[in-house]
Amino acid sequence: MKGQRILRLICRGALVIILTLGLFAGSFTGYSYAHQFREIPNSAPSRTHWLGTDGLGRDLFTRVIYGTRVSLLLAPAAALLATILAAILGGLAGLRGGWLEKIILASADLSMSLPLLFVLIALRALLPLDVSPVLSVVATFVTLGVLGWPSSLRVVWAAARNLRDSDHILLARALGCRQSQILFRQVIPCLRPVFLAQFWISIPVFILMEATLSMLGLGVMEPLPSWGNLLHGAEDFSAMAANPYRLVPLFVLVLTVICFQFVFSGSEELP
Amino acid sequence: MTHWISKLAQKVLLLTALAIVGALLSATMVRFAPGYGVDERELDPRLSAASRDAIRNEYRLGGGLISYYCGYISGLLHGNLGTSVFLQRPVAGLLKERAPFTVRAVFLGLTTAWIAASVLSLLTIRWQTWVLEYSATAVTGLLIALPTAVVALLCLYLRVPVFLGIAVVTLPKLFRYQHNILAQAHARPFVLAARARGVSSNRILFWHVIPAAWQPLVALLGVSASMAFGAAIPLEALSDSPGMGQLAWQAALNRDLPLLTSITLFVTLLTAAVNCLAGAIQERQP
Repeated sequence: MKGQRILRLICRGALVIILTLGLFAGSFTGYSYAHQFREIPNSAPSRTHWLGTDGLGRDLFTRVIYGTRVSLLLAPAAALLATILAAILGGLAGLRGGWLEKIILASADLSMSLPLLFVLIALRALLPLDVSPVLSVVATFVTLGVLGWPSSLRVVWAAARNLRDSDHILLARALGCRQSQILFRQVIPCLRPVFLAQFWISIPVFILMEATLSMLGLGVMEPLPSWGNLLHGAEDFSAMAANPYRLVPLFVLVLTVICFQFVFSGSEELP
Repeated sequence: MTHWISKLAQKVLLLTALAIVGALLSATMVRFAPGYGVDERELDPRLSAASRDAIRNEYRLGGGLISYYCGYISGLLHGNLGTSVFLQRPVAGLLKERAPFTVRAVFLGLTTAWIAASVLSLLTIRWQTWVLEYSATAVTGLLIALPTAVVALLCLYLRVPVFLGIAVVTLPKLFRYQHNILAQAHARPFVLAARARGVSSNRILFWHVIPAAWQPLVALLGVSASMAFGAAIPLEALSDSPGMGQLAWQAALNRDLPLLTSITLFVTLLTAAVNCLAGAIQERQP
């Protein structure tokens, strides 16, 4: 138990460091993520370029920390969107019951049985591939958020249903409290831990999905960096073997996901 | 028996409804996508007005929306899924050509993952030593933290077949679900009672725990099929395997919506059918 606590503390520390690097990327590097040093493409790590440069001569360290900002700020945004949708629909299903509950649960079951990556790329393909980088980021994470709600919905629904039958809600109804009062004063505060748990659990899932989409060229567009598109081109194994420091984005990504798993592994048991 | 048949009929009906809704959604996506009906051949100054009209008629732009939907559905019923924009070949033919590769890889991958995950979770539940528990959690935790595309690259580097990649992607999630389900069943009072009576651990596991956990384990079939089909896209795309995943990726890069929506619809129906099968097996249990 003590060992787990120490491990969680270390993971929390690592997440804080990674997030700080991403948020204050400009303070840790003097270069822009798109600036090209055309005379030194594919250079090895040096004092001026800590992780060297990529094939276009861009500073890799700068791109990794700006990529951290993109991945670590937008995955929570997608998780927030998915959690809000799950909270609204799951809350409605759990509290109202009846035919509404049946319809919402059936649609959640249906969405959960869909192969998510197929639907994601089908929706992503609706947009032209040459959209601006910022629009590609927004499109990627909005799509992830909109499609990521069903797994959270089941948990929210179960918690809301338990709450519907609880004594204090019954008492509030018997005392003549209005529906809105019950919702905002009783239901939402009680369900807050469930929402938070679902939010934290969704973040690493969206980070991984973005990475896969970007590696396939369907996620965040160049020149904006993200952990996924920094790994685009990793199939050139000879180049990777010659410059192994290009795998740093993968290391940061895996470390972040593992840290999230450790820190929030008990979150689903919160309620 | 009659009850089971009526449940099965309900599931078939649900599958049909899903097919119709999916077909309409696919048609809507194709029809309202930016650039629909625009064909660069129309810019050719040598074409006559009649030729341009013929090109426009290929996209069914002449009639209204209802006739477009009717045309799409009737085409589907006759096995005409349209023509791929970038490959210039009938979508039905492409699906027929590519589907066996993916279905075989998904089937082999899922079988491997199920066997590995079952063995691993049974071992951890049977012996319950912290070394086994922590090493299984660490390995599966590391595998879960890898993006599917990275697993695909590793498969390419190690020259292993696509189905093993699918197994590697689905194994950690399957292990976690199976382990939780078995652990919950193992913690139930009748298991404690059996242990108190001196029943052997193997007998408890195979005669009491697994039968109690059977239903939720069967429900995992559908979920795992959905995970496996999702994993097929990056695995096939990056390892250049001629399956539906690679075709979907190429269709997405070329904005070939008729092809992409047909593949998505086909895979959705396949996973829904697996879900229905899992549901039917669950219904059969006493």
